[in-house]
Amino acid sequence: MRAIVIVGLIIVCFLISYLVPLEQAVSDDTKACLRCHGISTLHKKLDTGESISLFIDGKKFEKSAHGALDCSSCHPGINLRNHPKPRKITSKKDYIKEFSPNCLNCHPKNALMKPAVHGEIVKKGEIYCSQCHGSHYISSMKEWKNKANFTEYCMSCHKFDISKTLPSKEKLSLKVNEQEIKKSVHGKFQCLVCHDDFSKVKHPVYNFKDKKQYRAEMNKICTKCHTDKELQKNPAHYALSKTATCIECHGYHGVKPAKVAKSMPENQYCLSCHSRPISKKMKNGETLSVQVKESDILNSAHKKLKCTECHKEFSTTQHPIRVFESIADYRAKAKDICNNCHQDAVKKYDKSIHAEALKKGNQKSPECLKCHDYHKVTFITKDKRASSELCIKCHADSGKAFKDSVHQQAIEQGKQNAPNCASCHNSHDVLPTNIAKLGDSCAKCHKDVKTSHNKWLWNPPVRLTSFVDVHFNSASCASCHTKVEKAILLTLVDRAKSKPIKEDEVAKALNIDAKTLKGKIDQNGDGKVQEQELWQFMSSMKSKTNANLAGRIDVLNPNDAHKIEPKNKSIKDCAYCHNPKASFKAKLEVNKEGDKPIKFEVDSKALNAAYAIPNIKDFYVLGLTKIKILDILFFIALLGGIAVPVGHITLRILTAPIRRKRREGK
Amino acid sequence: MKKVYLHPLPIRIWHWINAIGFIILILTGAQIRFVDSMGLMSFETAVDIHSWLGFILLANYFIWLLYYLFTGKLFKIYIPPFWRPVEFIKNSIRQAKYYGYGIMVGDKNPHHPTPDSKFNPMQQISYLMIMALLIPIQIVTGLILWDPHLFSSLAKLFGGIQIVSLIHTGLWIFFSAFIIVHFYLATLGHTPMAHIKAMFTGYEEEHEEH
Repeated sequence: MRAIVIVGLIIVCFLISYLVPLEQAVSDDTKACLRCHGISTLHKKLDTGESISLFIDGKKFEKSAHGALDCSSCHPGINLRNHPKPRKITSKKDYIKEFSPNCLNCHPKNALMKPAVHGEIVKKGEIYCSQCHGSHYISSMKEWKNKANFTEYCMSCHKFDISKTLPSKEKLSLKVNEQEIKKSVHGKFQCLVCHDDFSKVKHPVYNFKDKKQYRAEMNKICTKCHTDKELQKNPAHYALSKTATCIECHGYHGVKPAKVAKSMPENQYCLSCHSRPISKKMKNGETLSVQVKESDILNSAHKKLKCTECHKEFSTTQHPIRVFESIADYRAKAKDICNNCHQDAVKKYDKSIHAEALKKGNQKSPECLKCHDYHKVTFITKDKRASSELCIKCHADSGKAFKDSVHQQAIEQGKQNAPNCASCHNSHDVLPTNIAKLGDSCAKCHKDVKTSHNKWLWNPPVRLTSFVDVHFNSASCASCHTKVEKAILLTLVDRAKSKPIKEDEVAKALNIDAKTLKGKIDQNGDGKVQEQELWQFMSSMKSKTNANLAGRIDVLNPNDAHKIEPKNKSIKDCAYCHNPKASFKAKLEVNKEGDKPIKFEVDSKALNAAYAIPNIKDFYVLGLTKIKILDILFFIALLGGIAVPVGHITLRILTAPIRRKRREGK
Repeated sequence: MKKVYLHPLPIRIWHWINAIGFIILILTGAQIRFVDSMGLMSFETAVDIHSWLGFILLANYFIWLLYYLFTGKLFKIYIPPFWRPVEFIKNSIRQAKYYGYGIMVGDKNPHHPTPDSKFNPMQQISYLMIMALLIPIQIVTGLILWDPHLFSSLAKLFGGIQIVSLIHTGLWIFFSAFIIVHFYLATLGHTPMAHIKAMFTGYEEEHEEH
């Protein structure tokens, strides 16, 4: 049935063809074809649903570059007598692909390769001849070139999905969306206005290393019109232009208007630049990203705030350009922003060892941002283990020591009152361990600590909690509640002011450089301060200040204080400390502004010497720090006490005859 | 044989409590100090006994003080006659001579105790020092060491706990030697037990010269 229809159609076409006016210039062969293909409604439906028109406009074809050729020149082997039966065409694209090699019959490939860019396209074989040049109505290239406007000329290739793979393996799309350009602020520009190194006859090929280099080069195009001078009018934008390329904000061809509507919501206004990967250069050359992710703010504790509530000096009309020495300088100043609302926390922080260390130039020391982050500003999590991780990031050793403690066990058991780092060390006013009264921190949770110790720690006949205080004041909790090595720590203090004498004050008093202090104390340089060295140092200090040594018992390695044992394993034996045989090491501690104290190992025998009396006036541990010479005096006194009666009796025995004679003589 | 009532009952009670207390305090003191080499008792027990006895002797001290204050004899018995210094010094030398020489050659004790003058000049000056100065100091330093936190301001007055401890230990040394000598001197009555007996009965026997 289908065959009958087709044959019928051919016959009808053939008959109608006589009615169609035929072009005189075209060849007879062509004329024959046009009998059918000259019917404007002739088309073919493909399986894909596409429709291919089989109509050829004879007039237009006649005027085309190929107007004088037979159809069979390009469609070899097809004529009226030998017309292929309806052939199977899967898709338009396949048809084009299948057909294009026919062009090469007359246009040899090596000729097509001559223009470099054209050659690239032919070589890639992704775009076929007819896609650019058309099929039947091909005009002479020369003529077309002359006629086409620049944009049309460029777009003839760049409308396609062409791309270039850079040495960095990045793929750079060369497709240009003409509509986008038309809608842009540059809508009326021809390509050449910007790309003035190109023309209809000139198409240089650039080899960019990567996209970054490409963007930087493209910047030069913009600055041809948008000069430095013009950009300087808006200082914020000018500063920005020094760190980001134009393209990053304004796009390539769809150049957006330069002005962001001031009427838009403030956060959106700021984010129109700051959501992009822009950065800021510090004086010392460091680069700081000033990109702000909107999602960070929305997920933060500050989600309801406007940008300017923190960044007070900025607004939709004001954008001061600030200069910072370094990222550290910037971070330190960021604290002022937090201080707008969080005065209490900042005040506490300013007293902390972290603030001091930062002031002294320890870059690792944290400020607000290190723990709370920039725009992600989070409440420190209530998950005790997770929040400790924040501290452990820097204090890894402490974290490790804490893992063995009864407190860690409590955290793991999910106890509500289990402590984490901040429970003892505070969160903002973190202090050096010998200044922070860590015992007080313990008492924060162990509230009945005095009464519970007083159950057994008291001197008869009166059960006074002040006797517990005696021990709490001179020994750290960890001294009895850990199983690690203990030490007597002697801290250099001003006894009159009851304040530690700090390293710089020592240096000042002794008129030496702080760096040489170690040598001044440990004169023989053996790494240990001998008795004589200690007293010598003390006497030179005392000649200038009210120096004295305060003492306390603590763990030898401060980090071990984290290893708190369960209650039943703690030390309850008084003679553990109150014993001349207790082998505690001794350390001399000189406090240092904003840093951990400097420690010197001291020969612990010094504590048993008579010189300890004037130099360690307020610290005495029964047994442990007893003055040895008094023991010797005790034995001498005993011997003396015995010698008196023994001597007297001896004399009386020897003189007994005298007394007898005298009695007899009476 | 003349009998003189030298030691009234409160004084005898005070003396013997003091005597036992002193000995035990010296011993427990030694145990506390030499915990590493002495094994009389544990450190804790030694401290407990020492503390209890410290307070007992503190109270005991007041028996002595109040008794002599109320009887008004404190001045007569304990204060040397500083208004007659030459005579006092002479008497002291005489007494020292007796212990150092006279007693050997059979001289009589130049001092004859009476209830109002029971001490010879050397005893007088020693006991004044001990009762008015050394024991109070030992009690006060003991109290400070008993609870250094409670008495911290007192410790500061002394110049720090080290000095308090130094004084307390120093006096411990002194009393240890003193008590030996004291015991020996107590045997130098007309019989070795005469003074000791008197300390129990209150009556001192004295040989009358015929």
